[in-house]
Amino acid sequence: MELLREEPHGTTKAFYLSSAVWMVFGTLAGFTGAVQLIAPELLGNIPWIVFGRIRPIHTNAVIFGFVGSALIGSAHYLVPTLVRTPLYSERLGKITVWLWNLAVVLGTLTLSLGFSQNREYAEWIWPVDVIVMASLGLGFYNLLQTVKRREEEILYVSVWYIFGAFVFTAFIYFFGNAMWNPFTGSITGIPDGILAWFYGHGVVGLFLTPFAVAIAYYIIPITCRAPLYSHSLSLLGFWSLLMIYTHIGTHHILQAPTPTWLKVIAITGSIAMLVPVAAVLINLWLTMRGRIPYILGDTGGKFVLAGTVWYLLTCIQGPLQALPVVQRITHFNNWVVAHAHMGVLGFSGIIALGGIYFILPRITGRPLHSKFLADMQYWLVLLGMSGFFTVLTAAGLIQGHGWLNGETVYRMLPEIHPYMVLRLSVGILIVSGAFIGLYNIYMSLYGFKTGRKAS
Amino acid sequence: MKMTPPLLVLGGSLIFGVVLFVVVILPWATMTDQPSDIHRPRTALEERGRKLYVKNGCSYCHSQFIRRIDWDLGAERIAQAGDYIAEQPHLLGTERTGPDLSQEGGEHPDDWHMAHFINPRYVRPESIMPEWAFLGTENITALIAYKQSLGYKDADARMQRQRLWKPKSIEAYEKGTDGNVAWLHDLVPEPWRKLPNPYPTSQAGLTRGHRIYQSFCIGCHGPVGDGMGPAAPHLYPPPLNFTTLKGRGVSGGILYYQIMNGITGTAMPYFKRDLESEKIWDVGNYVAVTFIGETDANTEPRGIDASYEPADGEKR
Ligand code: HEC
Ligand code: HEC
Ligand code: HEM
Ligand code: HEM
Repeated sequence: MELLREEPHGTTKAFYLSSAVWMVFGTLAGFTGAVQLIAPELLGNIPWIVFGRIRPIHTNAVIFGFVGSALIGSAHYLVPTLVRTPLYSERLGKITVWLWNLAVVLGTLTLSLGFSQNREYAEWIWPVDVIVMASLGLGFYNLLQTVKRREEEILYVSVWYIFGAFVFTAFIYFFGNAMWNPFTGSITGIPDGILAWFYGHGVVGLFLTPFAVAIAYYIIPITCRAPLYSHSLSLLGFWSLLMIYTHIGTHHILQAPTPTWLKVIAITGSIAMLVPVAAVLINLWLTMRGRIPYILGDTGGKFVLAGTVWYLLTCIQGPLQALPVVQRITHFNNWVVAHAHMGVLGFSGIIALGGIYFILPRITGRPLHSKFLADMQYWLVLLGMSGFFTVLTAAGLIQGHGWLNGETVYRMLPEIHPYMVLRLSVGILIVSGAFIGLYNIYMSLYGFKTGRKAS
Repeated sequence: MKMTPPLLVLGGSLIFGVVLFVVVILPWATMTDQPSDIHRPRTALEERGRKLYVKNGCSYCHSQFIRRIDWDLGAERIAQAGDYIAEQPHLLGTERTGPDLSQEGGEHPDDWHMAHFINPRYVRPESIMPEWAFLGTENITALIAYKQSLGYKDADARMQRQRLWKPKSIEAYEKGTDGNVAWLHDLVPEPWRKLPNPYPTSQAGLTRGHRIYQSFCIGCHGPVGDGMGPAAPHLYPPPLNFTTLKGRGVSGGILYYQIMNGITGTAMPYFKRDLESEKIWDVGNYVAVTFIGETDANTEPRGIDASYEPADGEKR
């Protein structure tokens, strides 16, 4: 079958193309949502794109479709490369890709028709969950078989993170979606909130984060031509991520009537998150000390470097906003939306793009179709992300302070209107970046021209 | 430490198991399943409405728990774990693009909700909530039933109050203008009825009043104050035609009281949470001057003039 054709690195290529497509689709969906927050009647009364439906379509399409595909695609390149063994089965890999895409497509369609489990990032209904699990399971099996047949005895830190990510994502996805309850995908009462945020936090912390960190660990030493700074720091960062990140989901519902002891765990754990984050960043940044120009000279490396900076910012903000005094102001408003975009787009999304641009030339054997377009996408996304952060944080502070001061939500709507307009305008940069990326990635994979020589 | 596939997979699974136990299973097993004082089971129609709420993602804009620091809708009761024992899935929410709804039941009568779901801008001109007309009347009815149950027994008590006053307001409305206005005003406490607006009319005040009118009232009372705003066809009794108040003894105090307190049973909401004192005087006077055509602003008794007032009256 043509779709399952075996070719070297076919899995990675297919994942990358899917990622580029989902980035265009996902950002357009976000754009549609943003329009509705400014002019709720502009797009007419169309049920399947009404805000309550387009929002989960957006979040799931960008998290699983765009960032997820790129990260899992890179994992299918990194593991074989790092253990010096070809991927166990490219055919299995292709099945993994198609199942993954099928899940995102079906998830999108069912959400737009109003089938939803309504828990953030766990909205997709049970049949879609089954497909996701199948895809994750196949990917895990394929990579495990690859590692079992490895030539290289020592497993590099990226491989740890990738396996950690697979194991944790599968578990978290299964339990978080309460897959033993197919009709509601949930348990009951406040414990359901706790479980849902154990999951929601796991999606960003144990799915996106470890995959993205794995890519950074791979690309940074190569682009700056230096060995990794410290093995012990890698160990510390890896195990502490798994141990701490898992505990802290309740910081999303800190002000709800959850048990106090759990809140204490969530808050202390959030602060302790500085350990795994610092371990990773110190390790990576000391590796590149004095060698940053090398990284900036590489298209993929540049993205990854920017991603690590956003990682730092996200993870300074994260522990701060887990503190109850700060959450009085920041919870429930656009401050969190800024943080969310910073983590998912600024950190994991930009590193995912970096992975694509670094690895693509190595699997096609040709330079990128256009380095210029990749640079342009870099700046568009970076500017867009900085704009998002500024605008949404400002809007969030205005809402939060207004409410704390006794203003009603309705009274604050006109106050944030200008910021919603700015967000939409800045969003155009990110959407344009997505289109450019799709074109460039497509042409790099299938275009006949090899583009300008990298200068 | 030498990292091998078994170590990664087994170590990872072990950590996952332990943490899942501590932060999910333990709270799940130990948390109360006792209903709180206000809890009651939902009816079949209310359940149906809740399903629509889940399907349509209302929870991306509406939270359902009240915190100690809240002032807006529902702030009279802080959430307790026992309020949630039947929630599946939970609808706590993480964003308040719109207000918290955990105590929404009975805040408004059903006709207000009908107009609001058909198009939120009809009753809340600056709302950014989507229109839900596409759900169809039957579904909206279920959604309203669910809304009116939010807050359980507290909501039931408020709904009882709405149901008590609804027929009375209809009866008054059907008596014609004189009867209706008399009914409306008789219910305003005596001291308020006699109270004129203590502040003088000023161009600045009217401009502010106009702005408030446009953000809060225009959808019902209409751009010319005749009660023919876009919400009117959905409301019964319909919004008041202000022009009928001329010569019927309306005072600044009555306007203030009605705007502050609302008229339970009718769609007229209370505005004391949205608007503070000066804004209520301003919009009341705007209505008086612009639509009713008579105002008692700055007439006796008006007390000592406030320090900011322009020096044109006698008392200084
Ligand atoms: C885009 C975000 C958004 C979505 C989605 C949304 N709402 Fe709203 N909602 C708002 C805003 C903003 C307000 C405040 C202004 C108003 O009253 O319209 C509001 C107000 C309300 C109110 C009135 C509260 C009061 O008493 O003043 C109710 C009831 C309500 N929404 C129910 C719903 C239901 C049910 C759904 C899902 C079918 C829903 N909302 C979906 C934004 C939203
Ligand atoms: C959702 C529709 C709605 C909105 C919004 C609304 N009103 Fe009303 N208003 C009504 C209805 C309905 C009545 C009572 C009609 C009746 O019982 O005959 C009423 C009655 C009144 C009265 C009573 C007059 C009297 O003589 O007792 C005043 C004053 C009033 N509205 C002012 C306002 C102002 C000012 C605003 C904006 C701040 C406003 N209303 C917003 C529907 C609305
Ligand atoms: C690939 C890039 C993007 C990623 C990874 C991303 C990710 C996310 C995430 C994770 C959320 C959930 C936020 C939360 O729950 O706190 C979100 C919400 C949202 N995003 Fe994006 N987003 C991206 C691009 C865009 C763009 C280009 C726009 C449009 C201008 C946009 C508009 C929105 C809107 C309107 C919301 C809903 C916010 C709300 O509920 O108030 N996003 N996005
Ligand atoms: C050190 C690490 C981090 C900590 C302590 C942290 C903390 C938090 C807290 C406390 C919230 C809830 C805020 C509120 O609702 O008031 C939150 C929300 C969020 N975080 Fe983080 N964060 C961290 C890193 C990250 C990273 C790396 C990502 C992305 C990959 C991320 C993505 C998100 C998203 C998407 C939300 C929004 C959830 C929602 O409400 O829909 N975070 N974070």
